[in-house]
Amino acid sequence: MKRKTSSLVLTLLVSFFVLFWGSHVLAAEKPIIIGAPLSMAYLYGWSAERGMKLAVEEINAAGGVAVGKEKRPFQVEVIDTRDLEPGVPVSEALMAVERLILNKNADFIVGGPNRSEAALAAMALLSKNKKVSIVTSGVLSPAYHKTVEKEYDKYKYCFRIHGEAGNLIGEMIANFADLKEQYGFTKVFIIAQDVSHARGAAEIMGKVAAGKGFEVTGTEIFPTGASDFSMALIKAKETGSQIINIWMDMPESAILLKQWFDMKIPALPFGSTLAAAEQPGFWKGTGGKGEFTLCNVVNAGNAPSDATEWTMKFYDAYTKKWGIEPEGLGASSSYMAVYALKEAVEKAGTLDSDKIVTALEQLDMKGVYGKLKFDPKTHQVIPSTDPKEGAVGSILQWQDGKRVVVYPKSIAKGKILLPPWMVKK
Amino acid sequence: MDILVYGTINSVSLALMGLGFAMVYGISRVPNFAHGALYIICGFVTWTLFQKVGLPYVLSIFLALCVNGLLGMFMYRFILIRVRGMNISEIICSYAIGLAILEGLRWGGFRGMTNTLPVFMEGSFMLGGVPVDYHRLFMVIIGLLLLAGLWVFTHYTRLGLALQGMAQDEQAALMIGIDSDFMAMLAMGFGAILAGVAAILILPLGNIVVESGYNVLIMSIAVCIVGGLGSWMGAFFAAFIIGFAQILTVVFIGSHFQMVVALMAIILTLILKPSGLFGRQKELEERV
Repeated sequence: MKRKTSSLVLTLLVSFFVLFWGSHVLAAEKPIIIGAPLSMAYLYGWSAERGMKLAVEEINAAGGVAVGKEKRPFQVEVIDTRDLEPGVPVSEALMAVERLILNKNADFIVGGPNRSEAALAAMALLSKNKKVSIVTSGVLSPAYHKTVEKEYDKYKYCFRIHGEAGNLIGEMIANFADLKEQYGFTKVFIIAQDVSHARGAAEIMGKVAAGKGFEVTGTEIFPTGASDFSMALIKAKETGSQIINIWMDMPESAILLKQWFDMKIPALPFGSTLAAAEQPGFWKGTGGKGEFTLCNVVNAGNAPSDATEWTMKFYDAYTKKWGIEPEGLGASSSYMAVYALKEAVEKAGTLDSDKIVTALEQLDMKGVYGKLKFDPKTHQVIPSTDPKEGAVGSILQWQDGKRVVVYPKSIAKGKILLPPWMVKK
Repeated sequence: MDILVYGTINSVSLALMGLGFAMVYGISRVPNFAHGALYIICGFVTWTLFQKVGLPYVLSIFLALCVNGLLGMFMYRFILIRVRGMNISEIICSYAIGLAILEGLRWGGFRGMTNTLPVFMEGSFMLGGVPVDYHRLFMVIIGLLLLAGLWVFTHYTRLGLALQGMAQDEQAALMIGIDSDFMAMLAMGFGAILAGVAAILILPLGNIVVESGYNVLIMSIAVCIVGGLGSWMGAFFAAFIIGFAQILTVVFIGSHFQMVVALMAIILTLILKPSGLFGRQKELEERV
């Protein structure tokens, strides 16, 4: 008995020292710094940070990243760019990126800047410093990947791992077509925020919807920080619109949705980057007035679904770590960006930017929202409606206090419902 | 009809935002650039007491308004009193306090888009064919009652008359025994409470976001400059001018020019009549 106890104690001691020594050696390795320029007061900032930190924790716990023969841990350095806040100039975000590169010695830039204008301006800085960057949250402007395509040699360090406005429009148009077939909806009213991606998306949406046989009854562009939308909603009602397409990431979008409910506007609110409605707390925050709001959360994993076997694993791990479900755009894509970087670094066997670019261009992995592959010319993640083929999006609708994924059909958990004042009796 | 209904609602909401700022300036001549921060802090204190502590909503509001009033008086008694009369220092000092409050709230984790206060009355009704919710109607009624109440207070109570005396001529008020510093401190307290009342009435329409404190400050300044610095009635009329101008801009020009209206109003007022519509300050200099 005594011998057994002593051998057990000895085994425990040896394991403890091995583990301690092992982790010490790992900790002693120079970490790979992931610089994250994010607008931290906004959902697209903090959800990205949380997604990234979860992935880093998992990877480090599993031994870190194999760079050639050595194993190195990841480390995240966040700087608040504040670029999603009204009135904050783009230069603030550029300074944050520069500080991450020069002061924090970031090996990679992941996450933002979140505002398209700032991300586009940062491209030159990334190119000058030859820093590989993966945009994971907020930047939806098609100009981002088009710029890479146009001047590949200069901007080849820039990648985007989530959907862009073009994909989002395609996904929404597919839903509009369903609504047309099911309920005869033909009139769309567009409300957008006065920022690059939203203005651009509203313009493209207007053209695409018209081309698909929808009547665009009006387009209203509101400045960031606007807090009254009554006139636009009245216009939507007076023009007989049946769908209100919203492009707005500012917090005041909650006012718009509450006004829509209070005024009983007979048009279905269908938003994209509708940050307020993406979050799990939206239901409580609106006292249930957000019911029936549809919202494109850009990638699967930001709302519950079974896109891949990894989706709910990520969803549950995020919920466990942060005490809240993945809240919207930025969570799953930032998480996957870290894993994509790990794959690329291990394949390249070095942190050399040009070799990492090549490795990312050759990336082919299964992730939380489907197959992850970058278009080698544009560095945009390849989208699909089937998770086996590419990165799938996710459109949810608030139904009875829950975020129910209604699109794409391959991962849908329910169907689109109409508010009672729109149901014809 | 829709322009009339929502123009009025928008105007009253602007008047509520600006009333506290106008009152503080009118009495103490201190431009309180922490006004937006006081607005937001009242929202968060109410939210915390109601949602986190679990106190009844009315009690939460009452306590939050008390906290706001005390905070306003504290700001004056311990900070602003030292720079009183030095205009630039007053602006820098009060703005710094506002900045510290707003950034402190951000740092303290008050972020996100889902923190909100409940409306006083659920539901909506049709007013001349225009759908309006009860809370907005309630906001308009309370806004108008508040203005009437302020008028009665400043014309028929000893304290109100003393405050008005201060607003008219501080040195004369001192000569008849009115403690000007005490009155200025009270004015800061009342101004903070008015900012809090605006928050309690307006925030349930949307959500409590730290950044909107800056917007409230800009709108308050616009209302007060157009109305005439120091004039409460001027602020009220200016709120109606800007409020209707904003709605007309959305209807006839374009919604993305909505925010420009307030800033244009400031510029035009400063060019055409720097003392504002009802402002007595600098009016004599202008005439000369």
